[in-house]
Amino acid sequence: MDWLTTTRKAFALLFTGDADLWTIIFVSLKVSLLAMLFATPLAIGIGYLLATASFRGRKLLIHLNQGLLASPTVVIGLLLYLLLSRQGVFGSLHLLFTRRAMILGQIIIALPVLVAFTLSAVQGADPRVQETSLSLGAGQLRTAVTTLTEVRFGVMAAVFSAFGRVVSEIGCSLMVGGNIAGFTRNIPTAIALETSKGEFAEGIALGFMLLAVALIVNFSLAFLQGEGGLK
Amino acid sequence: MNAPLFVIEKIRKQFGARVVLDVGGLALHAGQSYALTGDNGAGKTTLLRVIAGLESAQLARALYRGLAVNLCAYPEWLRRDVIYVHQHPYLFRTSVKDNIGYGLKARGAPYRERELLVQEAVRWARVEHLIDSPAHKLSAGEKQRVALARARVLKPRLFLLDEPTANLDAESRQQVVTLIRDLCDSDGVAVIACHDQEIIQLPGIYRLHLQAGQIDHRGGQLPARDPSDRSPLGASAASTPAESLKWQAVAND
Amino acid sequence: MLRALIGAVLLAGLPASAVSQDLRLATTTSTESSGLLRAILPPFEARYHTAVHVIAVGTGKALKLGENGDADVLLVHAPASELAFVQAGHGVDRRKVMHNDFILVGPSADPAGVRGAPDVIAAFRRIADRKAKFISRGDNSGTDQMEKTYWPLAGVSPAGQTWYISAGLGMGEVLTMAAELRAYTLTDRGTFAAYRAKSGLQIEVAGDPRMFNPYSVISVNPAKYPDINYRGATEFSDWITSAEGQRAIAAFRIDGEQVFFPDAQGR
Repeated sequence: MDWLTTTRKAFALLFTGDADLWTIIFVSLKVSLLAMLFATPLAIGIGYLLATASFRGRKLLIHLNQGLLASPTVVIGLLLYLLLSRQGVFGSLHLLFTRRAMILGQIIIALPVLVAFTLSAVQGADPRVQETSLSLGAGQLRTAVTTLTEVRFGVMAAVFSAFGRVVSEIGCSLMVGGNIAGFTRNIPTAIALETSKGEFAEGIALGFMLLAVALIVNFSLAFLQGEGGLK
Repeated sequence: MNAPLFVIEKIRKQFGARVVLDVGGLALHAGQSYALTGDNGAGKTTLLRVIAGLESAQLARALYRGLAVNLCAYPEWLRRDVIYVHQHPYLFRTSVKDNIGYGLKARGAPYRERELLVQEAVRWARVEHLIDSPAHKLSAGEKQRVALARARVLKPRLFLLDEPTANLDAESRQQVVTLIRDLCDSDGVAVIACHDQEIIQLPGIYRLHLQAGQIDHRGGQLPARDPSDRSPLGASAASTPAESLKWQAVAND
Repeated sequence: MLRALIGAVLLAGLPASAVSQDLRLATTTSTESSGLLRAILPPFEARYHTAVHVIAVGTGKALKLGENGDADVLLVHAPASELAFVQAGHGVDRRKVMHNDFILVGPSADPAGVRGAPDVIAAFRRIADRKAKFISRGDNSGTDQMEKTYWPLAGVSPAGQTWYISAGLGMGEVLTMAAELRAYTLTDRGTFAAYRAKSGLQIEVAGDPRMFNPYSVISVNPAKYPDINYRGATEFSDWITSAEGQRAIAAFRIDGEQVFFPDAQGR
C-alpha cells in the first residue's frame, strides 16, 4: 500500500462531497448526539448522588460502574441484541437494526464514563461549596446544581470523554445496527466495511471525517460553556 | 431584659475518649455580639459549625426563640436565620454580584428586589469596583468582605463568623473590622470566633472563652444594650463586677 | 407492565423511523462487498416501493438471524446449512438464484507449487505437505464451510497446525492477511475481483467442479413469526428469480468481467 497515494486519494474523496458520505456522517452525528442528550442528565444525577448521598450498596455500585468502563462495546452490542431480537424480551418493539437501537447501545456505553467522571469531579469539589450553599439557605436541589456548576470543568471532561467513546465505537453499532447502507451505517462501521473491501483510502478519509466531526462538536461544546472553554 | 434568641441547652461532642465540646446553658441575646476566644484547636470552629448545622455531635439541643431544636437533625427553616461564614470563605465561580445575590435567589426573591438589596450590600462592603469581577480571583480581604455582604444581605438572626480577620494584612483587617462593627450594631446576634484584640475589644462585645471544651464567661466591657439603644457606647459606660456576675447568672438560665 | 413501561420510554422521544414496508435482507459479505446488491437492488426497490435493508454478515450469522426472526429474507451460499435450516422449519421457498465459483489464491511465488494442480483437493494436499501458510475464514461463513469440506477429502486435519491460520475475519480482511503473510486462502471470485488491495496474490486454482458456489434465496417462515414481512420477502424472491432479476445479475460486471451467473429457471 502506497501511503502517499492513499492520503492523496483520501483528501480528494473528502472534498468531492459524496452523497453517501454525508449520509454516513449524518447517521454518526444523529445517533451519538442523541445518545449523549439522553445519557448526560441521567448520568450527572447518578454521579452526584453516588458522590454525596450515603446508602447501602453505594460502594458496590461505584465498583460496578468502574468495571463497566472496561466492557468491550461488542459485548454491550451482543447483550442488547439478545434483548432486542424477535426472540428476546423486547423483540416485539422491532428495534433491532434501527438507529434507535444504536442510540440505546450508545447510551449504555456512555453512562459509565459520564458517571465515573462526574463522581470524581464532585468528590473533588471543595467541601466548603456544599456548606456555603446550605448555610445561605439553598435546598438540596439548588446545592446540587451549585456544586456541579463549581466543578463544571470536570463535568465537561466527562461529556467530551463519553462523546469520544460513543462516536468512535464500532462493536455495538455493528451488532444492533447492522451496518445497513443509508440507514444504520455510521462512520466507524463504514470504515470497517471499506477496510474489508481493501478500500484503504476511503477508510482513511472517513477516519479524518470522524476526527473533524469530533473536533467540531468539542469546540462547539467548549464555546457554549463560555470562558473560552479552557481553564 | 429581652428573652434570649438562642439558648444552647447542651452540646456535647467527643472523639472516642477525647471531649471536644461540653457546652451547656449558654444564652445568646438579640442585639448582642459575642467574641468566642480560645486556643487553636480548642474547638471554636467546631462549636460554630455545630450551631450552624454543618457538623454533627453526640448531643446538641438548643432553644430557638423558645422552640426546642435538635441541632443534630438540623431543621431547614433554621438555616434561614443562621448563617456561618468560613474562615476562608468560598466564593462561587461567578461574579461578585451573583455571589452576594445567591441566597436571595435561593429564597426566590424577585429580580428587582434582589437588584436593590445586592446594590446596597455592595455599597456596604465597599466593593463597588469589583461588582462584576470573577469572585474567586479576589484577594483574601476582598473575599471576606464579599462573604460578609453575602451573609448580611439575607438579614439572618444569627451570624457565625469564623476568624474573619485571620491571615489578613493590616489594611484589609481594618476594612473587615469596620464591617463587623457594623454587623454587631444590628438586631441580630453575632458570634465571632477570633484571636483579634480589635474585635474582642469592640464596644458592646461579650467575651466567651472556650477551654477544655467548656465555655468560660469572661464577660464584656459593657452590659448588653437594649436593641432600641443606638448610641455608640451604650447606656452604661463600664461594667462593675456586680454587673458581670449578674450577667453570668442570666446567661446560665 | 414493566416491559410496556420500558418499551414506552424506549420509543418515546426518539424520532420515528419508517415502519414495516422495509425488507430486511440478511446476506453474506460476498454479495455486499462485491457491489452486486448495490447494483441490482435499486430497480427492485423502485418497482415495489420497498426499502431493502441489507445486513451483510457471514452465512452462519445470516441463517441465525433468520432463525431468530430478525431478518425477513436470506440470500446465502451454504447448501448443507440451508437444507438443515429449511428442514428445521425456519425457512420456506428456498430457490436457486445464481452461482459463481470459489478460487484458491496465493502468493505469486507459489511456494507450495499448487499452480497447475489437477484439482483443488490435490492443491490442498500439496499445501499441507509443504506446510505452506493457509488462512481460513474460521467464521462459519459459506466460504469457510466449503473450505472445511476439502480438507477431509485431502486426508488432512489442519486444525492446530502451525501453518493453518484460523482468522475469524471477513473475506476482505483475510485477503489482506494472505497478501501480507504470503499465504494461500480460499475465496469467492466476486469478492476477489472487487477487492482493491490484493497486491501479491494471484489465482492458483480454479474451475474444479467442487468449487461451484451456488447462492439461494430463502424466505423466513411466516408461520413462526406472523409479523415478519413475508409479502416483501416473496416479492424479492420472485423478482430475483424472474427474468428481470436474473438479467440484472448477469449484467453486473467488475472490471468488465461477469462475476455472478444466474441459475433460476426464469419465469
